[in-house]
Amino acid sequence: MLCVLGVAIAATFVIAIGATTMRYTTVIREVDVLFNGQVTVVSKDAIVIQALPIGGSMLPQDPTVEKISIIPGVRAVTPIIFPSPIESNTVIQAVPVNFTMGIPVEDWTSILGPVSLRRNAHLPANDSSSEIWSGGSLADQYGWRVGSEIRVNGYTLHVSGVFDTSMALLNRCLIIPLAMAQTVYNYPQLVNIIAVRPALNVPEQNLTIAIKQKIGYVNALTETQRNDIVQPILAQVQTWTLGIEAVVFIISLILVMTVTIMTVSERRRDFATLDAMGAPTSYVFRAVITETFLIGVLGGAVGLATGSLTALVLASIYTNIPLALFFPSILDIVPPLYLLEMFLAIVGVCCLGGLVPAINAMRMRIAEVLRAEY
Amino acid sequence: MRIRTVNLTRSFHVGSSEIAAVKSVSLNINDPKFVAIIGPSGSGKSTLLNLIGLNDYPTSGQVLINDADASRLANRERRRIRNAHMGFVFQSFNLFPTLSAVENVELPMSLANRSQEEQRERALRLLETVGLTQRRDHRPKQLSMGEMQRVAIARALANKPETIIADEPTGELDSKTAREIISLLRNIYEKEKTTVIVATHDEKIVDVANAVYTMQDGQLKTDI
Repeated sequence: MLCVLGVAIAATFVIAIGATTMRYTTVIREVDVLFNGQVTVVSKDAIVIQALPIGGSMLPQDPTVEKISIIPGVRAVTPIIFPSPIESNTVIQAVPVNFTMGIPVEDWTSILGPVSLRRNAHLPANDSSSEIWSGGSLADQYGWRVGSEIRVNGYTLHVSGVFDTSMALLNRCLIIPLAMAQTVYNYPQLVNIIAVRPALNVPEQNLTIAIKQKIGYVNALTETQRNDIVQPILAQVQTWTLGIEAVVFIISLILVMTVTIMTVSERRRDFATLDAMGAPTSYVFRAVITETFLIGVLGGAVGLATGSLTALVLASIYTNIPLALFFPSILDIVPPLYLLEMFLAIVGVCCLGGLVPAINAMRMRIAEVLRAEY
Repeated sequence: MRIRTVNLTRSFHVGSSEIAAVKSVSLNINDPKFVAIIGPSGSGKSTLLNLIGLNDYPTSGQVLINDADASRLANRERRRIRNAHMGFVFQSFNLFPTLSAVENVELPMSLANRSQEEQRERALRLLETVGLTQRRDHRPKQLSMGEMQRVAIARALANKPETIIADEPTGELDSKTAREIISLLRNIYEKEKTTVIVATHDEKIVDVANAVYTMQDGQLKTDI
């Protein structure tokens, strides 16, 4: 029982850490999904994580868009503003609590990609419209639906659409018509990023070179270059996570091995009796391994449940989003495949931990054990 | 089953010295018999039974089972002989605490790959033989000492062994229960024509045995 508890605690720890880290890395990767196959243009001094500028100056909208539009090989240009989140005190959190994008209305569907719109959703009339769309998680938290009114920085905005998507970032996102976003957040004619779609057969790389040559104050990045920026960071995060998981697994292995060695030692007489009755060594081996397998299955199952719950609680604490809102999307936070991998790993570790005691039990000299009983 | 030992010796290393627990023991059990091996503690009775029961390897000498030298057989073959031809009864019963009485009796048959139906049928019959039909579903801790030893005897009989090896079977029992167990073992010998070899301190066994050997300092003397 103690062993099952120990394995369950280890599994809880591994799953909570793993799922939380995975959520963070997924959110970071998701940002780039919005700009698949596009070149992103930011100010030269901007610090960028994937496609998201997190510092540096903004770009003047019209002159920059005009200059980019006339570069050969440019098919479409979309200026975007990422103004401050609604709750500024939570902006520094790694998983955005609330995220706002100002996008020209004509580009909403192409930037958002395949989202599922809730009832009565419609696009705003123009870029100055006060109509906005909200991600499903954000809308659920605040009880917004089509027709709801929101006050932001003294402006009244009207919800004209609520969408659901598997992307954690978009689910927490407010989409505002570009001009309205610039007005509400007081960034007139300024944007953070310009997404540039290359014409057919024009390599992104060539386009970035052309943009940087034509416009001195911008930096242009291809999808590969954006990925290259965060790849080392994500790789390090994954390495650390793997390291922590490995340490926990090794501790579990030692725990299972130690406890099983003790229980095998306590049951020497049983194993010797089995041996005296002619049980094959494989029978004794199987008996011990089955026991550690069951410890793994039980501890793993309990750990899976408590680990998933812990990951939800952590996500709720880090984002200030009510726990109840996470339950419907629990499988996004702790993906089933990850749970299966961890469960198999835990069971495997437990079986491995049973190997040494099982071999000890097989090699027991029955005459010595039985003689000691007399 | 004919059991013969020829100059059987078993020594143990204790520190730097070597102690012979069994010294050149030659023993011959041709026909089914009720054999008692008596002697003080430390005289080598249990060591001798472990050698005869193929639970241990001799330092020198031979254990012949049906005239074949079993003392150097591979472990797999020794296990097969133990399972098919021998039954063991221990002083402290050695029942499996998580199994019921009937499951304990079924275990040697399960190891011999008998069918479930056969296991259950024979186990129930054996429990009836030892008078424990009503206690079939009880676990060892729910049984008295005497009942536990009866279950152990039923278990020893599970695979219809030709020899039962009992080491101090009455060692933990009161005198009345001990008499019942001795009587049960004697009945098994008489009805099943099974050789019963008992190592004991218990003088009462001497009265019912038809061959009595005394072990002293690892050496065997014939009394009857």
